[in-house]
Amino acid sequence: MTAGTGAAATVAPFLRLRFRPRPRNTELLLLIVGSLTLLMGAVSLGATERYLAAQAKGVRLAALGFGPADPFGIGLYLGALFAAHAVLVLAGRRLDQILLPAAGLLGGIGLLLMQRLPQDLVSQQLGGLELGLGRLQLLWLLVAVTVITVLAVAVRGDRWLRSYKYTWAAAGIVLLLLTFVFGSDTGGARLSLTVGPFSGQPSELLKVILVVFLAGYLSENRSLLAEESLRLGPLRFPPLPYLAPMGAMWAIALGVVIVQRDLGAALLFFAVFLALLYTATGRASYAGWGIVLFLAGSWLLYNLFPHVRVRVDNWIDPFRDPSGAGFQALQALYAVGRGGILGVGLGNGLPTIGGHMPVPAVHTDYPLAALGEELGLVGLLAILGLYLVVVQRGLRIAASLHDDFRALLAAGMSLVIGIQACIITAGDLKLIPLTGITMPFVSYGGSSLLANAIAVGLLLALSDRGPQPPPPPRRRSRLFWLGRGVGRSGRRSPAVTP
Amino acid sequence: MTVTAKTPPRRDTRIGANAVRTGIVLAVTFALIATGAGYWQVVEAQKLSTAADNPAVIAIARRTLRGTIVDRNGTWLARSVKDANGEAQRQYRDRSLSGVLGYASARYGTAGLERAYNSQLLGIGDADPVHQLTAKFDPKPVKPLTLELALDLRLQKAAVAGLGKDTGAVVMLDPATGEILALASTPTYDEGAVADPATADDAFAALQANPNSPLLPRATQGRYVPGSVFKIVTAIAGLASGAITGNTRFPQQAGAESKGLLVDGFRITDGHHPATAGIALDLVGATEVSCNIWYALAGLAIGGGRLVEEAAKLGFGASIPFDLPTAASRLNDGTGSAPGGFADDVELANAAFGQGGTFVTPLQMALVAAAVANDGVLMRPHLVTALTGTAGGARTISPETWNRVLTGAQADLLKAAMLQAVEGDLGRLYTAGAAVPGIPTAGKSGTAQVVGSPDPHSWFIGFAPVDHPKVVIAVLVANGGHGAERAAPLAGALMAKYFALYGKP
Repeated sequence: MTAGTGAAATVAPFLRLRFRPRPRNTELLLLIVGSLTLLMGAVSLGATERYLAAQAKGVRLAALGFGPADPFGIGLYLGALFAAHAVLVLAGRRLDQILLPAAGLLGGIGLLLMQRLPQDLVSQQLGGLELGLGRLQLLWLLVAVTVITVLAVAVRGDRWLRSYKYTWAAAGIVLLLLTFVFGSDTGGARLSLTVGPFSGQPSELLKVILVVFLAGYLSENRSLLAEESLRLGPLRFPPLPYLAPMGAMWAIALGVVIVQRDLGAALLFFAVFLALLYTATGRASYAGWGIVLFLAGSWLLYNLFPHVRVRVDNWIDPFRDPSGAGFQALQALYAVGRGGILGVGLGNGLPTIGGHMPVPAVHTDYPLAALGEELGLVGLLAILGLYLVVVQRGLRIAASLHDDFRALLAAGMSLVIGIQACIITAGDLKLIPLTGITMPFVSYGGSSLLANAIAVGLLLALSDRGPQPPPPPRRRSRLFWLGRGVGRSGRRSPAVTP
Repeated sequence: MTVTAKTPPRRDTRIGANAVRTGIVLAVTFALIATGAGYWQVVEAQKLSTAADNPAVIAIARRTLRGTIVDRNGTWLARSVKDANGEAQRQYRDRSLSGVLGYASARYGTAGLERAYNSQLLGIGDADPVHQLTAKFDPKPVKPLTLELALDLRLQKAAVAGLGKDTGAVVMLDPATGEILALASTPTYDEGAVADPATADDAFAALQANPNSPLLPRATQGRYVPGSVFKIVTAIAGLASGAITGNTRFPQQAGAESKGLLVDGFRITDGHHPATAGIALDLVGATEVSCNIWYALAGLAIGGGRLVEEAAKLGFGASIPFDLPTAASRLNDGTGSAPGGFADDVELANAAFGQGGTFVTPLQMALVAAAVANDGVLMRPHLVTALTGTAGGARTISPETWNRVLTGAQADLLKAAMLQAVEGDLGRLYTAGAAVPGIPTAGKSGTAQVVGSPDPHSWFIGFAPVDHPKVVIAVLVANGGHGAERAAPLAGALMAKYFALYGKP
């Protein structure tokens, strides 16, 4: 095996670029399948939009044509995905080949949705250009694909994460405090921080930082956490000194709810914490205690805070106030119900009421309602399946890693995506009270796309299986060895050496 | 250069195993969410996608000619036509129907039968998942159905005219089938003005500002103190539970007539003392003179638990299953600790003659009379007799037994009591004008004392002819005075109108 070929460039201690092309055929095939799916969606959306436009004008169209809706947008996005693939091929690392197509397909579905919604739901001035919803989402998707690619190619070492976990945690808390002091309110929650022309939701980045910190903390202390425990009769508690971070997490989650009124982020943080605590220690009882704490906290919040009570009451009975507080949840359910099994088709759903969107937060909190209506149950199952693929690949990477920190980091990154998807989809379908968090890769929003891109990029980097082992000997000679009773590491004849 | 195949230091594999287990939990969660999606998109899909508030349904309503609503003689009551611009216009024949039909407005949604049968009138009533799949390929998926009502427009108009400027309600039904012949609520409003986009805003604002709440359909959703008409419920409960018979007399009743009956310190009084003093009355006699003391004692003998239980068979305590939404009638507010939710014997004794915490809808009281009239068998009340058209969901609605409340003999006993209350020498004084000339009429009047108003509610429930009743009626005139002043004569006139239209038996 040769190690000296290819150019190696050291950009930073943790960034070392090498160029050594290696085909990634599975990824290419999956990207082609995904691209065809998205193109079909774009064509169907284009035809529907032309039909509806003609109908509004009272014209009868002879043919709907095959032009996709917004060919520039979908073309640029698919191009970026294939470019990312090309860069990964050139980089030559042995990385997971399924994550990029799966996340890319989810992102593409989100892009189609944003192109199809009223473009003035969001608008921003960038360098004299007025960008609407679809264009902004395209911009952020391109940034996200770039982030995934750069992280996947460049991240090799983990010292910058492992050794500075408390620094990261401190940065996260500072971010939280900044949001609290300087943040602006959206929908009754103090969520976003504005810097120059950009505004972002720090809680999205915070979730990535949280996973880094937890992976560092738990990998250092996991044996102590797992093996020692306090016994009180039949009850088992974690050892007291190690209980502190659990209490701190609980307090932070509560603080996020109370201070920022961000139920979704709090639920996500706490659930990820419990899942990682279990993954690190294997103690289901800790998770059990965490759930007890969670229920106690929920009860407290329900009784203390009116905005929590409104959420829960709306969940129990949206018909109580169908034109007020329960309006959006009810309209989302109507939309999902209209979809039925096959859906009404992209672009055909969401009739407006008096010129207004029935589900105002459809691009952030309720993309599932629109997708459920237009793609039907079949589409929803496919989307849920895609999330499951991402989670499964991530956990598989975690299980294959030899190092505790890296394994927990990989598990945490996949869990944070999976749990967030669970919370928002279950909320949209009224299976749990709705909490305003984004649907990973699908929802509109730069912070959300960026945070999930970092998670996927790190997962890809962690999936590196290292330099290729020597190619296996030819089959014929293997039989020959078996006959000779010589193991794999035995002497080799010069004839089979490459 | 060769890489030595040296295995790395043995790692603790548990993180990997735990990660897999966490993944399984997450996968199960996703499966549950997928099941949830299936629940909404397959099981509940029809209900959700035909709900009247669903914007897609409203959109369909805007471009669809709704189905016609006709009465039992085929007279149209509501219909849709295209105006000069090709827009659908909903027309209503008569405002006497406002409490029944409601309205279908592009701006204010739907109410009444227009709401209850919205999806059928739009022709999307059979939007089951399989049909939805095929409907995608159906060029004309919307096929409105026609709604045929049991209602007779002539009786409906007469009832509303009879109520005049008063607030009130009239329910007329056929006891043998449960078909509703008239369901009047006053004040009425102009449904067409709400449906017409040009006048909708003003009309709706005026309706909402009106202190008399014309939008409340009083026959089905207004709840009133019943007063003495409730005694029929007490009598039914007593007979059905066996607590009283036709010969039950209460010795203390006769003695208490002059000074009133003391129940736990509360004095129950009567007004018929001069005519019947000193006589211990039986069921027929007590009903004829509407004896509060006798019925209070009967209520105490039945007990709160059994009274509530038997009343529930008549429909009390829950919404009546009906074409329109109904308010639940009640004997008390259910917060008391005594049996049946009564606070104490005083409340029970008062409820037994229709005061205390008793609140009833006019429809409920019509059903009480109908149960007696139909020999103790209560038929399920219904307005719609058929849905006709080519779309799925077309069907006829047949009469259906709802509850058996009394035996034939018990019902006969009550018929005799109610006949005496209308035709008897003393009864006539309380129900003047209720008797239909030439037809033996049974009934019971009520004068319900209302807290905060000097004028009691005027009630009458009854039926005719007494042997084979054709028509049952309940009349309420809110704050209309004594039963004999407003309700009884109106009931008599409307029953006479019925026999004029359908022939004497």
